[in-house]
Amino acid sequence: MFSDETLETVEVESQWRKSRRQRLESKSSQTLELKLTEAGVQACHISDIGVQTEPAECLVDSFDPELNAQVEYPGLREFLQRVSGMVIKELKQNAKSHAFDGFEVNWVEQNQTVSFLHSLHYPEAQERGLQVTYVCWNSTGSVIASAYGRLEDGDWSTEKAYVCTWNLDRRGLNSQRPDLVIDVPSSVLCLAFHPTQPSLIAGGLYSGEVLVWDTSRSPDPVLARTGMLDLSHREPVYQVRWLPGTKRGDAFRVLSASADGKILVWQVEANGRLGVHSGYALIAQQIPRSTTVGKGRGDTPVGVTALALSFWDSDVFLVGAEGGLVLKCSFSAHTPAMLAGSDADMMLRAPAQFSFSTHSGPIHALDCSPFHRNLFLSAGTDGHAHLRSLLQGPPLLSLHVSDSYLFSVRWSPTRPLVFAVGTGQGLVQIFDLSRGSLTPTATIEQNSSGRPVYCMEFNPKQMELLAAGGADGTVKIWHLSSELTEQRPKETSHLEYLANEVPE
Amino acid sequence: MSEIEETLKRIQSHKGVVGTIVVNAQGIPIRTTLDNSTTLQYTALLRQITILARGTVRDIDPQNDLTFLRMRSKKHEVMVGVDKDFLFVVVQAPSE
Repeated sequence: MFSDETLETVEVESQWRKSRRQRLESKSSQTLELKLTEAGVQACHISDIGVQTEPAECLVDSFDPELNAQVEYPGLREFLQRVSGMVIKELKQNAKSHAFDGFEVNWVEQNQTVSFLHSLHYPEAQERGLQVTYVCWNSTGSVIASAYGRLEDGDWSTEKAYVCTWNLDRRGLNSQRPDLVIDVPSSVLCLAFHPTQPSLIAGGLYSGEVLVWDTSRSPDPVLARTGMLDLSHREPVYQVRWLPGTKRGDAFRVLSASADGKILVWQVEANGRLGVHSGYALIAQQIPRSTTVGKGRGDTPVGVTALALSFWDSDVFLVGAEGGLVLKCSFSAHTPAMLAGSDADMMLRAPAQFSFSTHSGPIHALDCSPFHRNLFLSAGTDGHAHLRSLLQGPPLLSLHVSDSYLFSVRWSPTRPLVFAVGTGQGLVQIFDLSRGSLTPTATIEQNSSGRPVYCMEFNPKQMELLAAGGADGTVKIWHLSSELTEQRPKETSHLEYLANEVPE
Repeated sequence: MSEIEETLKRIQSHKGVVGTIVVNAQGIPIRTTLDNSTTLQYTALLRQITILARGTVRDIDPQNDLTFLRMRSKKHEVMVGVDKDFLFVVVQAPSE
């Protein structure tokens, strides 16, 4: 049945190569012949011109109206004749028009309430019970620095303290970990950021030293410090400020005011020291007074507890002293101060020119209005905030803010009639003078335990932010409502009216 | 010359007028009642916006041309009378 067989092989020829070969063709192409020529070019004339921009003052100076009045402009008369008819008609219509009454435009989203943004604290300082004594924003408005120390101690303290900074614009903002912590040998009572260089801070200590730190330097941020010179402060420094130099190119100088009655102007010297440039001393008998407050010898120094610089007049500054005195002082005063045992190489001058009516208690805060050249606020331990004018002694307005001490008062940088006051009961009260009543428009509860608010500062660039620091060791950043930050149309004239009122 | 001054004074004395500026074709203010820096600021900025406004009007209808420009803001109203050779700027505060 089954047998072996061999079959023939079957072949299939490959078709692939034949089919490929049939499709091959070769072609060649060539572009047309390119024509090339060579030519040489050389400039035979060279001319040079220099261009320089002139500084901005030259531009303003060259515009001289008197000069232009003599030049005849052809066609000016005809132009004015043509245009003035139309302009006068529009002016009259505008004065009578009610078309825009009640028409309010809002470009920015409105916030109805004050909201809480951040609560910043440094746990190590809080553990030791240190309080926030001063807060300060830097010139760009993105960094806040807080000074830790104690305000309640009455005796010498050699306890170490801190200055902490947080950068609020950084994405990884950790409210418990400051971006920079500077160790300071004694309690820091005041801080001031440099007005144009965002990394320099000046601080005044409880021991009387004044230091300048540069936050961009590491590891040691101390840029300059006062040594223990004869002239340096021996009592706590309550205020530091940066002063612009007298000539245009000069660097800023540091002004420090302390409880020993001396107000010194320091300049940063090359070897890391602060050298005294000029100084003032407040002596009891050299203060012009309307009423005599006569305790103690006449040549005792009067301690300074608050200081404010005027935005409008660079010669004037205001000083709040022990005993509730508020004084108007001048940088260019000439009378030498009769300081007991003064040395001959640095003449201290008596700056006081005029004394306003006194508060019944030490003054903790003074602030000059950024919108009116004569108005300023003063607040002290008697619980009243006084609105005063530089031109007269008694206050224009006296507001009873709280039953406890007032530690800080600040004008709003955007609304001429609004100011904020920090109280000893832990509240920040915001007052709006455009409303008839003298009760606060807004009250911010800084902490629930009622510990005092020691310091406040409005952000100079993002003006709806307010930072406040208190005895509980935290700094809280508040975002104010638009009502408190947007200027209304008639505010400056209302402020002017208030300033010109004479109290009965 | 005095006619020019008289016209300008008349306009300046209208209710609410804060200041007036006359600008020539090169953009230089030739008469003004405001201070130097404010005048220069207003001149530079208003010239730019007048040129832009004129371009807008003429793009929409080439036969048309800008005669007068008014800008109303929260605090002021700025009026600009326009011509080939000059600009006349008046700043008025609204009366409320």
